[in-house]
Amino acid sequence: MAALLVPSLLTSCSLDDKSGLGWFFGVILQLSEGMWASLVLFVLTLLFSMPLGLLVCFARRSRFKVVELIAKFYISIMRGTPLMLQLLVVYFGPYFVFKVALSTEYRFYAAIIGFALNYAAYFAEIYRSGIEAVPKGQYEAAHVLGYTKAQTFMKIVFPQMVRHILPPVTNEVITLVKDTSLAFAIAFVEMFTLAKQISATESTIMPLFVAGLFYYIFNLVVSYAMGLLEKKMNYYS
Amino acid sequence: MKKTLALLLAVAMIITAVPFVFSGCGSSDKSGSKADTATTTLTVGFDAEFPPYGYKDEKTGEYKGFDLDLAAEVCKRNNWELKKQPIDWDSKDMELNSGTIDCIWNGFTINGREDDYTWSVPYIDNSQVVVVGKSSDIKSLADLKGKTVAVQSDSSALAALTGDDATKENKKLAASFKELQQIPNYETALLNLESGAVDAVCMDIGVANYKVEASKDKFRLLDDQISSEQYGIGFKKGNTELKDKVEKTLLEMSKDGTVEKIAKEYKLEDALCLGK
Repeated sequence: MAALLVPSLLTSCSLDDKSGLGWFFGVILQLSEGMWASLVLFVLTLLFSMPLGLLVCFARRSRFKVVELIAKFYISIMRGTPLMLQLLVVYFGPYFVFKVALSTEYRFYAAIIGFALNYAAYFAEIYRSGIEAVPKGQYEAAHVLGYTKAQTFMKIVFPQMVRHILPPVTNEVITLVKDTSLAFAIAFVEMFTLAKQISATESTIMPLFVAGLFYYIFNLVVSYAMGLLEKKMNYYS
Repeated sequence: MKKTLALLLAVAMIITAVPFVFSGCGSSDKSGSKADTATTTLTVGFDAEFPPYGYKDEKTGEYKGFDLDLAAEVCKRNNWELKKQPIDWDSKDMELNSGTIDCIWNGFTINGREDDYTWSVPYIDNSQVVVVGKSSDIKSLADLKGKTVAVQSDSSALAALTGDDATKENKKLAASFKELQQIPNYETALLNLESGAVDAVCMDIGVANYKVEASKDKFRLLDDQISSEQYGIGFKKGNTELKDKVEKTLLEMSKDGTVEKIAKEYKLEDALCLGK
């Protein structure tokens, strides 16, 4: 595949002077609007899904069987069906189920809601793994020392959980960066959509590679930041 | 105990948040439907990867194209505001039926979809052609026997070859292929053709001409055509009121030569069939 791509890349570069640095920055400039859209989607999704994930996680660990079952069902639906389908349901659902007329602005909200609901399910399971990795003995010790349940969680369990979950959370965040391109299912124009459009007009696949470069750099920054955080949290060694 | 309390609080927060979210979108709906009834905006849904009918201009970054220029002129004459909404082609029916777009105006084939939309008069005669590599030995439709052929998924070319209304000859032709591959967009299909992964691509003549020229002689068209068909503007079934308004303006534009002038900009004047 790569062997096939390289010659076609070279020819498309030599065509129409599409190899110059000026052209490259032109594409970046055209993509910048989409980069902003992707970035906003990324930040808002994290902002909403991370706390929501904690709630789902609590529900999943609840003593009440009903609450636990609801959380389990939620997680299995969110993880078991395609994100693209979930986006379509969130966006078009209100019209097809409740006959509410949709507005164009709702595209943006639907994208955020869809992504946040989906990622919350994954985060909930990551949080659960972090909480359950804390040995039972620590709960008993806290109890003996007279900590309330809330104190035990906030002062003992939560800080350790954060440390445990950093690597899998990094994984999820990196996936999210690339998943933002799914938002075009509901015509939310983000960067990869723009790249495809430019690619169609200019009859070259170079814009897709420029988009790829953007995702890569974005993810480098994400993993670097998470790496720093991990180092900071690693206070026992 | 406190944990339970916290949990209950959390559940209560979520429950109270739900109607808020829906009332939030409900209120914005009202403003949207208000705009609809006054028809101050015309939201045109289009596939922005479909030059020369609708695409992103490489210099300005604006959405333009033959269909979008026509739509802009129609809106100007009616004092409407034009909103160009790029859509995911696979979701076009959901977009149209839920009212997020007012019409599909984007090299939209009438044939085979007559009963699914309220159609304007046809304005472009579009035929399905076969694109092959410049040096390919495929000369006629019969040479496609045993070859791998690509089409865009859910496209007119696919419908013409294997759809319910496909002619017997076309079905026989499709059966003679080694494989009929469905590819999400033209760009990828042509990349497949260029790299030799497929032997031919079936597509609309307007796009094919544009692509063959843009490719600087990497591709050529077969003289034989698979089918001929017409383009119209698709409105939600039953929305005759808006259709009549747009169509009336379009016919006026055809009479005073505006349509032909715009068509020439995109080299589509030969395909025009408005008022003929």
